[in-house]
Amino acid sequence: MKRFLLIFLSLILLSFLSQAFAQGWDDIEKKAKGQIVYFNAWGGSQRINDYIQWAGQVVQKKYGIRVIHVKATDIGDVVSRILVEKAAKKLQNGSVDLMWINGENFKAMKENKLLYGPFSQNLPYFHLVNTKKKTLKFDFTVPVDNLESPWGMAQLVFSYDTNRVSKHPQNMSDLLVFARKNSGKFTYPAIPSFHGTTFIKQALSELIHDPKILSQKVSQSDFEKNTRPLWDFLDELHPFLWRKGKVFPASGSQMVSLLNDNEIFISMSFNPNSVSNAIENGELPNTIRTYIHEGGTIGNAHFVAIPFNSSAKQGAMVFANFLLSPMAQARKADPTIWGDPSVLAIGKLAGPDKALFDAVPKGVATLTADELGQSLPEPHVSWVQALEKEWLKKYSK
Amino acid sequence: MSLELENLSILKQGSAIFDPVNLVIRPGEITTIMGPSGCGKSTLLSAVSGSLDRAFTLKGSILLNGRNMGDCPMEKRNIGILFQDDLLFPHMNIGGNLAFAIQEKISRVQKSQIIDKALKTAGLEGFEKRDPSSLSGGQKSRISLLRSLLAKPSALLLDEPFSTLDQTLKAKIRSFVFSQIKKMNIPALLVTHDPKDCPEGGMILNLNKEEG
Amino acid sequence: MIKIPVQDKRIIFPVFVMILFCTTIVAGLIGTILPSLNYLPVIGHTQVSLSVWFDFFSYPGIQTSIFVTLFSGITASFVVVSLVFLFISVSHGNALWKFFEKILSPVLSIPHAAFAVGFGFLIAPSGWLIRLVSPLLTGFNTPPDWILLNDPAGISLTIALVIKEFPFLIMVTMGAMGQLDIKKTLFVARALGYKKEQIWLKILIPRLYPHLRLSIFAVIAYSLSVVDMAILLGPSAPSSLSVLILKWFNDPDVNFKLLASAGSLFLFFIVLLSIFFVYLLERSARVFLRPWITNGNRSSFVTLFKPMISFTGICIIIFTIISSVILVIWSFSWQWRFPDFLPATWTLKFWAKGLVSSFDPVMTTLFTGGASAFLGLLLTIGCLEYAVNSNQNRIGQNRIGQNKTLQNKAKNYTKYIHYFLYLPLLVPQITFMAGIQLLLVIMKMDGYWITLMGSHMLFVLPYMFIALSATYLSFDKRVTDQAIFLGRSYTRVLFTIKLPMLLKPILFSFAIGFSVSVAQYIPTMLVGAGRFSTITTEVVNIASGSDRRIMAVYALIQQCLPLIMFAMAIIIPKILYYNRKGMQV
Repeated sequence: MKRFLLIFLSLILLSFLSQAFAQGWDDIEKKAKGQIVYFNAWGGSQRINDYIQWAGQVVQKKYGIRVIHVKATDIGDVVSRILVEKAAKKLQNGSVDLMWINGENFKAMKENKLLYGPFSQNLPYFHLVNTKKKTLKFDFTVPVDNLESPWGMAQLVFSYDTNRVSKHPQNMSDLLVFARKNSGKFTYPAIPSFHGTTFIKQALSELIHDPKILSQKVSQSDFEKNTRPLWDFLDELHPFLWRKGKVFPASGSQMVSLLNDNEIFISMSFNPNSVSNAIENGELPNTIRTYIHEGGTIGNAHFVAIPFNSSAKQGAMVFANFLLSPMAQARKADPTIWGDPSVLAIGKLAGPDKALFDAVPKGVATLTADELGQSLPEPHVSWVQALEKEWLKKYSK
Repeated sequence: MSLELENLSILKQGSAIFDPVNLVIRPGEITTIMGPSGCGKSTLLSAVSGSLDRAFTLKGSILLNGRNMGDCPMEKRNIGILFQDDLLFPHMNIGGNLAFAIQEKISRVQKSQIIDKALKTAGLEGFEKRDPSSLSGGQKSRISLLRSLLAKPSALLLDEPFSTLDQTLKAKIRSFVFSQIKKMNIPALLVTHDPKDCPEGGMILNLNKEEG
Repeated sequence: MIKIPVQDKRIIFPVFVMILFCTTIVAGLIGTILPSLNYLPVIGHTQVSLSVWFDFFSYPGIQTSIFVTLFSGITASFVVVSLVFLFISVSHGNALWKFFEKILSPVLSIPHAAFAVGFGFLIAPSGWLIRLVSPLLTGFNTPPDWILLNDPAGISLTIALVIKEFPFLIMVTMGAMGQLDIKKTLFVARALGYKKEQIWLKILIPRLYPHLRLSIFAVIAYSLSVVDMAILLGPSAPSSLSVLILKWFNDPDVNFKLLASAGSLFLFFIVLLSIFFVYLLERSARVFLRPWITNGNRSSFVTLFKPMISFTGICIIIFTIISSVILVIWSFSWQWRFPDFLPATWTLKFWAKGLVSSFDPVMTTLFTGGASAFLGLLLTIGCLEYAVNSNQNRIGQNRIGQNKTLQNKAKNYTKYIHYFLYLPLLVPQITFMAGIQLLLVIMKMDGYWITLMGSHMLFVLPYMFIALSATYLSFDKRVTDQAIFLGRSYTRVLFTIKLPMLLKPILFSFAIGFSVSVAQYIPTMLVGAGRFSTITTEVVNIASGSDRRIMAVYALIQQCLPLIMFAMAIIIPKILYYNRKGMQV
């Protein structure tokens, strides 16, 4: 009897809470109506720009929110601007309402108290998110704490021209062998670009004697010892790199043209679907395929966050919620549209929503989920600066 | 409406560039100032017209109809000037050039009547719509004079106005200019280095450089 | 009641400009100096110290960075100035020169970034030149691993800078030539037995140099602080100083902002030092070159190099034009892989997409450019009118050309205005714009179109002044004097006589101002607070991606806008004055 009462009471409490919760969200949707949301996101890809435009149109029709895509060349610009606004004590009407962010930029905003939140736990679609994935709870090992809402997943994949490379490398030593045989046909972007840093993180995680060290804060005293195998590897690799390691591409995007023109035979990307997307788009020939190393590759997630001084927070939250919806996530995962992997847990989806994902075509050059396997975790965020500094000291003279 | 120059001298860095000038020009009279190049003839004219360069200082006085021109700005003096180049405005036709000079606030019809009359006196009837650069040297000189006279100046200054014309044209234009000035009955001051430019019976002044 | 004559009232123009420029730049500099001394409270740094400078000088690769910056900047400046002088000496007056006069405007209108993209593709190992001869002559089926682009010493960047600055300096020199009596000097000296080239090198160019001095300084400043071209063509590890500073500004680690401030101050310091060095060079040249100038030699080595110099000039124009042609091809291509000389498959998709998506940015660009150029024109003419009339130099000369001596007096006055006007060109943008951003946010003026337009005008004005002043100041004073007597009113004369007669140079100056506004990136980004996208921000954004085709479409649209203005600057006077032969010059 007592147990029955307890269950009954907790059910009533739950329904009250969910009612209150729904009430809360209704209020937010109401307030959001008519707001303009300035969404600052990287604008270098026409495909992504088109996707954002589509999302904005849907949200306009459904919720009366106007989303303006402010194209950023480097999200660091945006962080910079918000910092200036904070310095100038601009606590309202900030120029940014929502921004596409992750990793070090997130850390910078969090540390300098530039974020609004926690807020993502209140988004109705948040419960569909695959919270088993550690990278959604820890952004480059920095706790997310619901200060940013997940948007997409990423994993380092390598791409290669099947016409030129019969057997692709399975790990870093294989890569070294390949480079020796095909001098000048591989490279990675200059540090401290995003892709470049990820490559050396990947190399380090494969070559370090104990990968568990990477999940901890970097120790200055052991740094030399721990990273020795990485620098040895790079010292051997560089003479066989594209341009003999004297010139590095400025960014991951530049590498696509290099691969297209066969200046290199092996490239890399953070989106498992980007090659399929590029083939679809005519940027790469149909002979390009992707692969990962046998031990797995580093993966992470990207998010959207709301700055502290936004005056369209409700609109931003409604939009962020929409971006989490199965409809938006499925469309995003479609390699003919963008191809960015979803953050939702397929298991949590209801029938019709799951069907959306089943209908997403598989990219011609995309690896299956099984093939991609479990991604490796990012090293502790302190490793980034230490590695970048050392790389610059050694190779940027 | 006579033009008087009283002890007029121009100083450059403290020293006068010519001996003081004393002149009275009565209406209809044309006085000529002659002198070698560089003696300051043009500077003298610029002083009278009101556009003296800041590097020079004026001593003495300029009187137009008894009124001292001392601190009167150029646009208010009503002293016209004619240069050796016709300086017709290239972006307007002849009619436009002449109309620009007409001060009175009259209707367009009245203005064109005045222009017609003026062109007739120069023997250039029907030239209103012409492009200035399509005219010959002599024609341009005549239009230039007409233009200056249409502005109804109280006095007219002429800065070597005939030097660019060839000999045969010179005589023709010269007589035209002098007759117009007499007709308008205004005092005129002519500066030249060519003795042939001096009008008959007009006073001639030689500008001397101060020694020492 | 003291009557203030009109002349004095015009002083508000130069005074306004001086105040505007000085306050902006000083405010901007303060916003940079303080963080460089470790004072940036918003990120917790309040202890003033020199630690930031210590970090700056010990940053890995900084020496190479500084060296590369100095090398590419100074070499490019020297080469382009020498090339311009030599080219004028051998080509002035001949068919090539006349061709140059016609082609100058469109070539000048090509924005730096667009040119850099096209040029990069031209000379890259996978680029057009190599494709032209591959695989037929070279046997290359994949691009050779040569360092032709982004080389560590910055040579490709230097070459690109020379190509881009060459037309600009030619334009400035053309304007300055109106101040001298070229024909007469050539006539007299040739009668003495000197060849044309020598007359230019020994007599005319030394006389022209003072008019070109400030523009040359601007070229030096630009070459040392260029960012967009350096990102695309310059070295990457380490990059040049300006690129490094930009990376620091955008680094997620906010402490790098301090480093960026120190770096940009150091860059400014390098610019000042280089300008001073060149000035010393000029002064010593006056002494050391005198014997050469007066040695009476009638033969010159330059004559031997005549064909080579002309050829170089032609190459520069060809390279510039080809860079645009390449963009056109890219914009229509679908698949274009090495070693295809032309795309394997073509498409109109990107044009369709680009024209639609660029509509809003193009509108913003047109309004901002038009407004800033118009305001710039008002201020420029106001300042020039003040200069012209401040000395009351009027009639008094009766020989053509002699009234120039009085105009020299006006030039003395404008010299001082010149210094202030050139200020925004001599201080690297990145050095003071960051400080401006902070100031504007504090004053709640960021994100407004007026502020954006004002920030563009900061850079538009100097170039408009450069383009217009020489011609404006050589306007025959006697015409204005004659007109004032006839028309009785200064303003009437200005608007119905003087300005209409100067329509062509005024429209040209407007077109220049407009194209400067179009090219602005950093001001739009920092001042616009993300509220305004111009065609240039679109180009830079899309250039950070990988798709050359859509990038080409945007770059070409960007290029078209100034081109249209230049075309109008040529067509409008032709239409208005079709029947006025005197206005056709």
